[in-house]
Amino acid sequence: MSQQDAIRRRKRIKYFLIHAVLLATAALFVYPLLRIFSVSLRPGDKLFSTDLSLIPAGATFIAYASLLRDTMFLRWLWNSLLITLATSFIGVSLASTAAYAFSRFRFPGKKAGLILLLSSQMIPAGMLILPLFLMIMKLKLMNTYLGMIIAYSVSSLPFSIWILKGYYDTIPRSLEEAALVDGTSQVGAFWRIILPLSTPALSIAFLFNFTTAWNEYLVARVVLFSAKQYTWTLGLFELQGQYITQWGMFAAGSMLVTIPVLCVFLYSSKWLISGLTLGSVKG
Amino acid sequence: MEIIRSILEVTGFIVLIAAGVAALVGYLYTHFKYYDRGWFAWVALGVYPLLALAALGAAGLHPHSALRSLFFASVIIYAFFRYVVKGRHTVPYLLLAPAFVGLALLLVYPFVFEVYLSFHDLKLTTIMMWKNTGSIPFVWFEQYVKVFTTSPLSEVSFWALLGRTLLWTFSNVFFHVAGGFALALLLNNAIRFKGFYRTLLVIPWAMPQVVAVLAMRGEFHSQNGFVNIVLTKLAAAFPFLASLGVGPVQWLSDYPLLTCTIINVWLGIPFMMVVILGGLQSISSSYYDAADIDGASYFQKLRFITLPLIKPVLMPAVTLGTVWTFNNINVIYLVTGQAGGTEQADILVSALYKAAFTYNRYSYSAAFAIVVFALLFFISVTYLHGFDAAKEER
Amino acid sequence: MASVQFKGIVKKFKDNLVLNGVDVDIKDHEFVVIVGPSGCGKTTLLRMLAGLEDITDGEILIDGLRVNELHPSKRQIAMVFQDYALYPHMTVEENMSFALRLRKTDKGEINSRVDEAATILQLKKFLKRMPRQLSGGQRQRVAIGRAIVRKPKVFLFDEPLSNLDAKLREEMRVEIAKLYQRLNATIIYVTHDQVEAMTLAGRIVIMNHGIIQQVGSPIEVYRKPGNLFVAGFIGSPTMNFMTGKLSLQGETLLFTGGDLKFTIPSFVLHDAKKHDGREVTVGVRPDDVLVGRTSDKCSDKVEGVLEVCELLGHRENLYIKVGETRLLATVEAFFDRSPGSAVSLCFNYANMHVFDKATEKRISE
Repeated sequence: MSQQDAIRRRKRIKYFLIHAVLLATAALFVYPLLRIFSVSLRPGDKLFSTDLSLIPAGATFIAYASLLRDTMFLRWLWNSLLITLATSFIGVSLASTAAYAFSRFRFPGKKAGLILLLSSQMIPAGMLILPLFLMIMKLKLMNTYLGMIIAYSVSSLPFSIWILKGYYDTIPRSLEEAALVDGTSQVGAFWRIILPLSTPALSIAFLFNFTTAWNEYLVARVVLFSAKQYTWTLGLFELQGQYITQWGMFAAGSMLVTIPVLCVFLYSSKWLISGLTLGSVKG
Repeated sequence: MEIIRSILEVTGFIVLIAAGVAALVGYLYTHFKYYDRGWFAWVALGVYPLLALAALGAAGLHPHSALRSLFFASVIIYAFFRYVVKGRHTVPYLLLAPAFVGLALLLVYPFVFEVYLSFHDLKLTTIMMWKNTGSIPFVWFEQYVKVFTTSPLSEVSFWALLGRTLLWTFSNVFFHVAGGFALALLLNNAIRFKGFYRTLLVIPWAMPQVVAVLAMRGEFHSQNGFVNIVLTKLAAAFPFLASLGVGPVQWLSDYPLLTCTIINVWLGIPFMMVVILGGLQSISSSYYDAADIDGASYFQKLRFITLPLIKPVLMPAVTLGTVWTFNNINVIYLVTGQAGGTEQADILVSALYKAAFTYNRYSYSAAFAIVVFALLFFISVTYLHGFDAAKEER
Repeated sequence: MASVQFKGIVKKFKDNLVLNGVDVDIKDHEFVVIVGPSGCGKTTLLRMLAGLEDITDGEILIDGLRVNELHPSKRQIAMVFQDYALYPHMTVEENMSFALRLRKTDKGEINSRVDEAATILQLKKFLKRMPRQLSGGQRQRVAIGRAIVRKPKVFLFDEPLSNLDAKLREEMRVEIAKLYQRLNATIIYVTHDQVEAMTLAGRIVIMNHGIIQQVGSPIEVYRKPGNLFVAGFIGSPTMNFMTGKLSLQGETLLFTGGDLKFTIPSFVLHDAKKHDGREVTVGVRPDDVLVGRTSDKCSDKVEGVLEVCELLGHRENLYIKVGETRLLATVEAFFDRSPGSAVSLCFNYANMHVFDKATEKRISE
């Protein structure tokens, strides 16, 4: 009896410790976001304070109001959203077919292709900006959505292909063969069997494409030059770069741009773990 | 009006691509005979040029020159299918074509262009000449020599930067994996609120990096930052700590690299946690049961079961993590880069970015980038030796 | 319904020859089981018929029509896969109707066919379930139902029972046999289990190393195995083999192999003179090793030592050592001798098989 009690107590202590550590880490991870929120609520005269409370004294939404009224913030958000969605759509559709080829076929150059994908991750980020800039200039797409979409469209492609290939590999081939016997073509089998089954990996690929494009600013800085076409990243830099940084507005803007990404993350969170197959546990 | 126009512009582009893809898929769908692969090449040759023509037209290229470049592209593609592929592997190549055409245009071509630049001399003083005459001085390996002998910034040498980069990469990846692993192990217990914790713990990853980094930078501010406020309060509350030297620190100016590292560790743990958690969840519990019967302790189980079994998941994640950290420009640039920031925290890639866009030394930075790429490639290949990610074809 | 012909089928995976000239004629309404050890090419042959595998050489005819180049769906076949291959994202009903929906069959027709198949297979309760909510046996039935619904010319079964436990396997075996009577279709069934082959088949095709070893009715291949491989593969427990040499003693043939010595009568081997000095393998099924009793067509007595007894219920397995040769005898239950005791046994000539040792071909009647 007493031994059982001891075991139970030890178990309770173990779970208490686990919860304590997780809670502390979670607090640490979330804290900066809450701080931004708190700064965004501060009245203008108290922006620089050493106050640590989350809801500051005299909290107002004035920063949000002036951000939406006095700047083109909504327009920037809109620009970002358009570019990001278009990029993600293109990126995911290109990756899904390419990954299928890598997963299901043998062909000369397969290994070389995979190595190319891996090594493309090693190209330093700053390196491609100049050539891309020149290309977009030659195509007369400076300061346009199209230029941005083209520049972004392949940025997450290698990683997406890699993830999707890993996921396709776990789908038994006999499913497609059954579909072939049932009367679909190879492409039909891909469309009707493989794609619906790959929702987790597809949403992860979408997530990666979305966040990459949504957060990008190095290319945007050289391609976009009129405030009307800015993405939110550039817009926020604008706010921050002015000789008196509009901290309140900056914080408010940060909150607003975080929301869409958080939504995408929450939406895909149930697939986050099953869909992110970089390799598989065998045996 | 403005907004409607922008919607039309983008949706038009998407519809264009979608229509092309749909036409191709539709054709394949109706006409695909399992053994009639010969048809495929012809269909592709029909659809892709149309798609390309539409794209080039949309890009505002003169129809005449668009047609001419298209003609040459078609000849090359035809020759490829006719003489190299010989009709045997048409399906996979067609599936790959859109992605690899994209990669070739937007990744490989710029890369090759950088190689071209690195053998020439393009900088602020020669750029006008290049614009007017289309030619720039050819300098052989001069830029590469300069990479190793002169500083990309005002004082730090290449070798110092390299050492700093290796230190930065190693410490970051180590803490990412260690932290991610620890959290994943905790989350892999049968506990309540698991989903809730998981959601909170991925927030640093979910936040836009620009926002996250700038917010964290604010926390390291010498007066208003959370870290220093806490340190001050600690020192005030416990005088003996203050006597040990605990107190506010000028993080951004005195320890910029440390600050960047802390911020990046915070940013990178969630990704590793998710990847490792996925691996942990797919380990069958029967191994642990067997180990329990064999009398293994918790750490023995960790050492002899968990670690070897998640290695296939961990290795690619660590490889990617290493490459990404090595190439991570965001954190360092955002923390120190703007407005005459310090050079003490610069790693290779951020120095490269500054050399190109702050100091306008384009050719030099191109050579620099290629050296960095070669270095990273060499490290990765050595690192992947034994674990060949590309080898596991089925 | 339809006939199927394989003509000189060859399959190569790179340099690896998987099938080497396979010729089989399968008649209308026939239940043919292709059996062989794993890796013998039987599944490859089936997949080539289904159109899932390229044909290196030779041709396949369904109803006299060459189908080598035909898309799988145009061959009017239905296939039941080893792992069932049920589409995980579709309900049982959607799984079963998928092929018909692809062909734009009339809705009412689809419903009636699915309903009919579900009734036959007792699946009506499960039509709205997803495959993952079903047990192994139910999934198996759905896979069969998916095939029935299409009303194909030929049914292909690829080791359909290998993922089931022993009891379910027996049940499904009976169900498939009943289904065959009901559908009266051409069925080609691949398995590595000779019991399934013996119980289900109208005709058995035994394969090894990509070559057909023997084709015949279950009783034919059991009674008259054409070579050593078939003799060893078909029948459970496995046939006893004794290697030795034949020698002519006057008019009769004498078999000598270690301590084993017995005459081989002329109704087993004709032309005694022709076989003088030949190296042979003699095969006798455990049932035909008679222990402690004789029959009228029985060989001379051989003395051996009883090593192990296994009681199976109504029968008993006796492991007997004769010199260096180990023999298995199956006798009526309760053979009351303890291990280690000496036993005398003889072989039933009526079911004795003699094979040439070098060619492994059958030379007895």
